[in-house]
Amino acid sequence: MTSADRRHQIGGADRPRHIGARVRRVEDRRLLSGAARYLDDIRQPGMLHLGFVRAQAAHARITDIDTSALADLGAEIRVFTGQDTSGLTIKAPAGHDPKSAALPDGHQGYWRMQDSEQPLLADGVVRFVGEPIAAVLAEDAYVAEDAAERIAVAYEALPVVATMAQAQDPSIPPIFAGWTSNVYIERQMAGGDLAAARAAAAHVIRRTYYNQRQAGVPMEGRGVVAAYDPADRVLTVWSSTQIPHLVRTYLAEELGFPESRLRVVAPEVGGGFGVKGQVFVEEVLVAWLALKTGRPVKWVEDRREHLVASIHARDHLHTLTAYVAADGRLLGLEADITVDVGAYSTFPFTAGGDPGMAAKVLPGPYDIPAYAATFRALATNKCPLGTYRGVARPSAVFSQERLMDDIAAEIGMDPIELRLRNVVRTFPYKNALGFSYDEGSYAQALERVRDLVAEDRAAARASRASATTRIGVGVACFIEQSSHGTPDFTRRRVPIETGYIAARVTMEPDGEVTVDIGLQNHGQGHETVMAQVAADALGVAPENVHVRQGDTLTTPYSVGTWGSRGGPLGGGAVHEAALKIAAKLKAIAAHLLQTDASRIALHGGRAVVIGNEGSYVEIRRLARIALRNVDQMPAGMEPGLEAQCSLDGPADGTYSNAVHAAVVEIDIATGKLRLRRFVVVEDCGTILNPLIVDGQVRGGVVQGIGSALLEHFIYDEDGQPLTTSFADYLMPLAPEIPNIEVHHIETPTPRTPLGAKGLGEGGAIGPPAAIANAVADALGVPVSATPLNANTLWTLAADIRAAAETDRDG
Amino acid sequence: MTIDITLTVNGTARTVRVEPRRLLADVLRHDFALSGVHVGCAHGACGCCTVHVDGTPRLACLTFAVQCDGKAIHTVESLGGVDATHPLQQAFSIEHGLQCGYCTPGFLMTLAPFVDAMVAERRVPEDAEIREAMSGNICRCTGYHGIVAAVRRAVTEQIETGSAQP
Ligand code: FES
Ligand code: FES
Repeated sequence: MTSADRRHQIGGADRPRHIGARVRRVEDRRLLSGAARYLDDIRQPGMLHLGFVRAQAAHARITDIDTSALADLGAEIRVFTGQDTSGLTIKAPAGHDPKSAALPDGHQGYWRMQDSEQPLLADGVVRFVGEPIAAVLAEDAYVAEDAAERIAVAYEALPVVATMAQAQDPSIPPIFAGWTSNVYIERQMAGGDLAAARAAAAHVIRRTYYNQRQAGVPMEGRGVVAAYDPADRVLTVWSSTQIPHLVRTYLAEELGFPESRLRVVAPEVGGGFGVKGQVFVEEVLVAWLALKTGRPVKWVEDRREHLVASIHARDHLHTLTAYVAADGRLLGLEADITVDVGAYSTFPFTAGGDPGMAAKVLPGPYDIPAYAATFRALATNKCPLGTYRGVARPSAVFSQERLMDDIAAEIGMDPIELRLRNVVRTFPYKNALGFSYDEGSYAQALERVRDLVAEDRAAARASRASATTRIGVGVACFIEQSSHGTPDFTRRRVPIETGYIAARVTMEPDGEVTVDIGLQNHGQGHETVMAQVAADALGVAPENVHVRQGDTLTTPYSVGTWGSRGGPLGGGAVHEAALKIAAKLKAIAAHLLQTDASRIALHGGRAVVIGNEGSYVEIRRLARIALRNVDQMPAGMEPGLEAQCSLDGPADGTYSNAVHAAVVEIDIATGKLRLRRFVVVEDCGTILNPLIVDGQVRGGVVQGIGSALLEHFIYDEDGQPLTTSFADYLMPLAPEIPNIEVHHIETPTPRTPLGAKGLGEGGAIGPPAAIANAVADALGVPVSATPLNANTLWTLAADIRAAAETDRDG
Repeated sequence: MTIDITLTVNGTARTVRVEPRRLLADVLRHDFALSGVHVGCAHGACGCCTVHVDGTPRLACLTFAVQCDGKAIHTVESLGGVDATHPLQQAFSIEHGLQCGYCTPGFLMTLAPFVDAMVAERRVPEDAEIREAMSGNICRCTGYHGIVAAVRRAVTEQIETGSAQP
């Protein structure tokens, strides 16, 4: 082989355009072969293993921690308790100075909420089952577990706050010292003339809806390894996280360690879905222990720990009142939103995150002139609530879309027609709260779904006569705000503070490209998509682009992967940074070809004179010139091919839209539900890679199906968790899931560089509403809560069974 | 207490000294450095840890290593090597049957014998049958759609290439 043969071809596999192509994922090879390295594959010489003693009582004072049984274990064990880590906590303070930034009227500001702090290890009181009490270090993970089991904790019971009602009962004391009630935060937001809506309404429809508490459950749990290198005084922390830079900043502040000497690495991450998007006590503790002991420390979460003590989601109770005109137009909407947020406020989105988001998004895709909401977050003795795919929007859409069907039933209108009468049709649109929506396809998506399920709706009507099997069709129409910029966070005054993504693009002397991006991949295929984006801007092939992420050593500061902003903002940042390099390549080419840079195009690995394909310079040569043979550059040009872009989102974000339709079949005798079809029509703006878009939608939908039908994290009246294994916490399995049909409408947004809107979460948002509406349609009864398991459905079908009995007897 | 056991892992026999309580999953991961064996639940409910023991899919989190003394173990690493060339692995990639990849080795080890059996019967299974074959594995990312398509593709392609050369 000659050296020329060994050279990579730059731009060899060029297509006209890589963005929008169904490009196979470059990540797949290592994942399929078993070579990928997840957190538990990280090993350090001399590493100690961490095991936890976790609270078995929901709310109690710790009266004794007895370690005497460790003596005969025959192994060297080190135990740490809250006394050792005193003062170190997870805190999520909302901005406390309302004067430092003007708060627009009627918006959520979280300042002056009652803050909580979660100690790394309980400091005398435990507030939920699973809260860490003691940390045990041993040379072997099995021994660490043995040791943790031998430590006996004695408790003195405190009154348990186990329900929303108890959290609002003034006779039950607050779970935090110095608090005045068990309410973290209660706020209002409003816009438009609600009094006028009330006065003009022909119908007033008021309903209450509830979504159960859930867990997010990535297949890989959490885990942390930390190692301190005294030679260059660098502390490296590997964590299965979605937000490596935010973890680094938190560690630096909490441990008082210089951030320049802290490195946080998210290795291969086996799913996150938002769960791994908070900073956890375990991350701070493992880092602290590595510094304290001078030895590398490793903790790998087990499944029970994950279920009881990572974060939970949903647990929303909404009461909505709709003011409706005689012709079905929505004149006004009122919402009262209560969320059981559990024992501690999480960093960086706080206890206000879920209820505030629900209140913010409830107007949804509809043109509602007046809106007012009250939202509150309650503290209870349960696992803290955090972000999980959709964040409040599955619950908001459940309530909103159940309400639309309830309105339709009450006023005798077809539910899809009712929606078509109310959806926003002219863009940009400013809603009652002042949020500006970019272009969407709300009506078009509804019409498309109406056509796609027409036959199923006929079959549903025909099944009304059946006493044994009923078919129902339900739809959910929704929008998803994503990529919102810093002002959205400033308004809320939450510690996330900003939402930008940065990318650095470097072209090497051989023409190959490195993209370092502040995203973190946990299944979304960023390496593929970002390579497509860079390739298009630079005229090379995606195969020429090496994308690196997850390591704060190599990647520019960013907020990480959450909130469906990877494609629009991550992709946008890569595009903008790559364009800066493209401009330089063009300038050098123009200089060599004696023409103007505006006449140069980059494609197929070449800088070509537009209209004269025969006149070109290879990009490889241009790279060589820019980095090595700099004497050939235009006079005065700076050597090098490196550019960075930090891309913040537009103030109000972008709004993807979708309509989901579920077709269910219910066995009246048993309550067994079969999903006959699940149809999605979605619009996420410019599609960067249809393979990945479809995968994100389908994966999200199946999680949403789990929310609708199965997944329920249950506590008893003492705050004891009852669903602590996969035998009790049920998630969708392949046999009960149909093929998910996905259709696209593409309405690019002018608000992001590539026209892309967020899409990672949308799939999970619609199913609870669509399925509940289908069940209501099938059984002819209102549905107000999830999960719709066989028990619930059997109960909901009681009237049909009774009617059948009467028919038979009569 | 420790016991010496001999495992033939991906074709190579080696004797290791283990505590009787050590799980096969841990011994494969730590003593044999096989990062393709994943633990998703450690209580037999997710299928992530599936490996082949004497040719049969088994859950390495519910198996003690000492139970496998003298047996042949195959992990995902043996399927198609570092380039993941096995037809099922290729089909997973084409059909987007994986996202985070954590469940993937378990699905591959569960489904590879199923694919082989279908190819031997020269029969492309119904979707419901494919879904049933993976009912012991949980994937939280893909919604299963791409995995079903991948199995269908792997069977179909192998039957077709097989028929081209009788
Ligand atoms: S890890 Fe073995 S079945 Fe879940
Ligand atoms: S690909 Fe992530 S769990 Fe299956």
